[in-house]
Amino acid sequence: MPSFATFLLAVGQAAALLLLAPLASGFCRVLRAKIHTRTGPPLLQDYRDIFKLLKRQEVVPKGAGLIFRATPFVLMATLLTIAMSLPVLTLASPLGAVGNLFTFICLLALVRFFFSLSGIESGSAFAGLGASRETTMGVLMEPAILLALFVAALLAGSSDLGRISLAFASPSKGLIAAEFAATAAIAFAAFVEMGKVPYDMAEAEQELQEGPLTEYSGPGLALLKWSLRLKQMVMASFLIGVFLPYGAAASATAVSLLWAALVFAVKLVIVFAVVALIENSVARNRFFATSRATWIGFGIATLALVFYLVGL
Amino acid sequence: MSLTLFALSIALYVAGALASLVLPERAASRVTGVSGVAAAVVGFAAALPVLVGGEPVTATMAGPFPFAHFVFRLDRLSALMVLTVTLLGAAVSLFGATYVEEEYAGRGVRTMGFLVNLFIASMLLVVVADNALWFIVFFEAMSLTSYFLVVFDQDDEAIGAGWLYFLIAHAGTLLVLIGFLLLYGRTGSFDFAGVRGAALPAPLASVVFLLAFFGFGAKAGMVPLHIWLPRAHPAAPSHVSALLSGVMIKIGVFGIVKVGVDLLGATTAWWGVLVLAFGAVSAVLGVIYALAEHDIKRLLAYHSVENIGIILMGVGIGMIGIAAGQPVLAAVGLIAGLYHLLNHAAFKSLLFLGAGSVVSRVHSKDMGHMGGLLHVMPWTALAFLIGALGICAIPPLNGFVSEWFTYQSLFLAALHGSSLLRLLAPLAAVMLGIASALAVMCFVKAFGVTFSGEPRSKKAAAATEVGWPMVSGMGLLAACCVALGIGAPVVAPLMRDVAASLTGHGIAVASGAVVFPGDAATGVLSTPLMAILLIGLAAVPLFIAGLYAGRRPRPRLGAEVWACGYAPDAAMRVSPGGFAEPIKVLFRPLYGVRDWADGRLAALKPWFAGLPAAAARVEQLWDRWLLAPLERDVQAAGVQMQVLQGGDVRVYCLYIVAALVALLAVAIR
Repeated sequence: MPSFATFLLAVGQAAALLLLAPLASGFCRVLRAKIHTRTGPPLLQDYRDIFKLLKRQEVVPKGAGLIFRATPFVLMATLLTIAMSLPVLTLASPLGAVGNLFTFICLLALVRFFFSLSGIESGSAFAGLGASRETTMGVLMEPAILLALFVAALLAGSSDLGRISLAFASPSKGLIAAEFAATAAIAFAAFVEMGKVPYDMAEAEQELQEGPLTEYSGPGLALLKWSLRLKQMVMASFLIGVFLPYGAAASATAVSLLWAALVFAVKLVIVFAVVALIENSVARNRFFATSRATWIGFGIATLALVFYLVGL
Repeated sequence: MSLTLFALSIALYVAGALASLVLPERAASRVTGVSGVAAAVVGFAAALPVLVGGEPVTATMAGPFPFAHFVFRLDRLSALMVLTVTLLGAAVSLFGATYVEEEYAGRGVRTMGFLVNLFIASMLLVVVADNALWFIVFFEAMSLTSYFLVVFDQDDEAIGAGWLYFLIAHAGTLLVLIGFLLLYGRTGSFDFAGVRGAALPAPLASVVFLLAFFGFGAKAGMVPLHIWLPRAHPAAPSHVSALLSGVMIKIGVFGIVKVGVDLLGATTAWWGVLVLAFGAVSAVLGVIYALAEHDIKRLLAYHSVENIGIILMGVGIGMIGIAAGQPVLAAVGLIAGLYHLLNHAAFKSLLFLGAGSVVSRVHSKDMGHMGGLLHVMPWTALAFLIGALGICAIPPLNGFVSEWFTYQSLFLAALHGSSLLRLLAPLAAVMLGIASALAVMCFVKAFGVTFSGEPRSKKAAAATEVGWPMVSGMGLLAACCVALGIGAPVVAPLMRDVAASLTGHGIAVASGAVVFPGDAATGVLSTPLMAILLIGLAAVPLFIAGLYAGRRPRPRLGAEVWACGYAPDAAMRVSPGGFAEPIKVLFRPLYGVRDWADGRLAALKPWFAGLPAAAARVEQLWDRWLLAPLERDVQAAGVQMQVLQGGDVRVYCLYIVAALVALLAVAIR
């Protein structure tokens, strides 16, 4: 059971990730505009969008029921649970009882389950197709993400996320190649999970009217958009906190936590900048061509396993 | 005490079965239901003390065979099985009481009650029989009663499915029987107790294990011996499907554990690798085929193949651990397998009962004819949702906990196992991951298409909620799914005890509200904490949504969906086939394998079709050559005898006197 201080840390980091999520997406929008050499929206535009939507009337389609209404709440609660369990500022999970890699994967499945079910339930053809794609992406990404995490856990000798980050922060055991390949595979998986171009399969804006979001409006849409941004934030923090933890606090003193927060913020900016760069320099993929890319991701993860087995 | 209660439970089942045969229909279904629930409660009470206390209860009774006594043995493993059977038995009996009355009125309600009760009783007897001969007898009773239930509907599909089931089940029994006879030849006794201590030569043990593995594997429905399962389970009445998928196939797993671990001691490492490999393949193929199904019951049946695979993965790791002398690995593997066995029993029967409720309203098993049932059947929908979340390993429900342990067992195997295992275990984990992701897709489809949106047929629109006995049957199982998940810190130690009774080594698995695989450094999990967090953190979005609640207009319900300006049409909505299409395209080769195998099977069909015709001809020969002459001779003898029967009373008196004289002569001499 967590002590009060670590619990406070967990609440603090979840709150910070939630509050900063629209800022990160706003940052991506600004960068996108810069790449297009246009003025673009201000940095805080996403906060304005969310608060505007909160004041709008909610329109619920015919046939939509409890799951359609509940999904925005389920999604945000689940993502906050994940956010509390990640090792972000420290080299240990603040909530070890939830911060386990297999738990992490299953919590992501919870998000996916409700997100796609709400799409089917709305009764919209676009949302249904988006739901189908969302779950298919889950199937395609699962081998890569699971194997890469599995190898990382083998390197650390534990499936606890905190212990994995501790092992990655101190690469004294060698096996650099395996660590590098696992990190690469996870970076790829995290990017796909963020739902950005070219892998915005489920929420494709031009193609599917944002998939499962099609029929949402008002506060439901606000919560859902915020949750999806929180998911991007969680995936980025997961990558940074577990696989690139250099600078995170080994012991939770005030100074080291502040330093860790600073380093984390810089890394977050870099990650989102790279993400923005990628999403603006490629075209959308054909959906059925996605499996080739995900097999490459799985290939990298397999490489990590091979490196681990031969001791590189 | 446990023995008495167990006997009482069996007696109640048999009494209910017999009463069902003689009572009028309405009373018969009620009596079956009530006796089933009562027997289940008594059976549960018999097994619980053994599971918690751990002292095996044994008894030996003389039977009709001089060479094989009936040996009763209720140890921890069989207590777990008895608990599983009775838990499901209670829910199914409750559900069946009204379901049978509604669906099968005038179509053999009494026979159904008779068969269902005997089916459950025979499953209970199989798991406590500690003698090979009696084991086979009850195993066969279970196969036969279930066969009659599969063919109950008497349509072509049911008869065809029943025939396939009959063949494969008996082929399996034959393999098991050969295995037991080999053991008998070595130990000279049908009692399992004699086998436990015996030092068997390794080749013999391996042969017996292989025979038992494939024999019981056929019953469990593992790939490639699963072909009967997706046909036979949907053909049966829904509450029987719940029993078939929920417990009967687990008897197959029980058999593998009983013979492989309990009797033979899992002495050879490759046995476990074999079980793990078959499990991993079953897990992936089962769910891939499930995804392509439109028939809701076939979809669920294919998921049983998947989950048997997951259970076998845990059992396989457990056997590897025993063979390698690694008590932690052995215990975690067996905990994972047995926990998933119990969990799958709970959520799969729940899903089958939910499907049964829906089918009883829509009168079609095609999900394309359902839809919109969430609004008219809210309790069924909620129960089905809980079952779906359980089977998809969604936290914090039960399927998640056992899959978590399965992942942990694979992780430990990859960390500490042999070099072969270090390669195989990560791949098996990937296959489990794919299976879980596919299960999510499959149940989003199953729940979404069945319960969400608008009705796709008139019957779906006119559907009503099922009666309270059916709802409470589902409610019992739904409560089990939640309790087995959130109550993991209580349940895991019980599973540990069962595993310890098999391996002889106990490990630490729980402390306070967390569970862990042997060592907390490997990873911990607290489902109660997760449940609290998931529910508690919903306060954040509730707060955000409430921010401007006063200023915004009330939600507008019942709007039309947006179809780019066209009038929305029900046909525009995603169909069960369309939803799964990406997987069908991306995994085409795996479907090709099945089509190829089905083709081979179809080639065998004319031979099977010829069999009844041949039997019919043989039957006539029998008539002509044996029965007809016999009949003719009896007739002729009768004609000859008529001479005696002249019709004169005096002649008859003479006969009597003659008979008396003859008898006196015999007596005097």
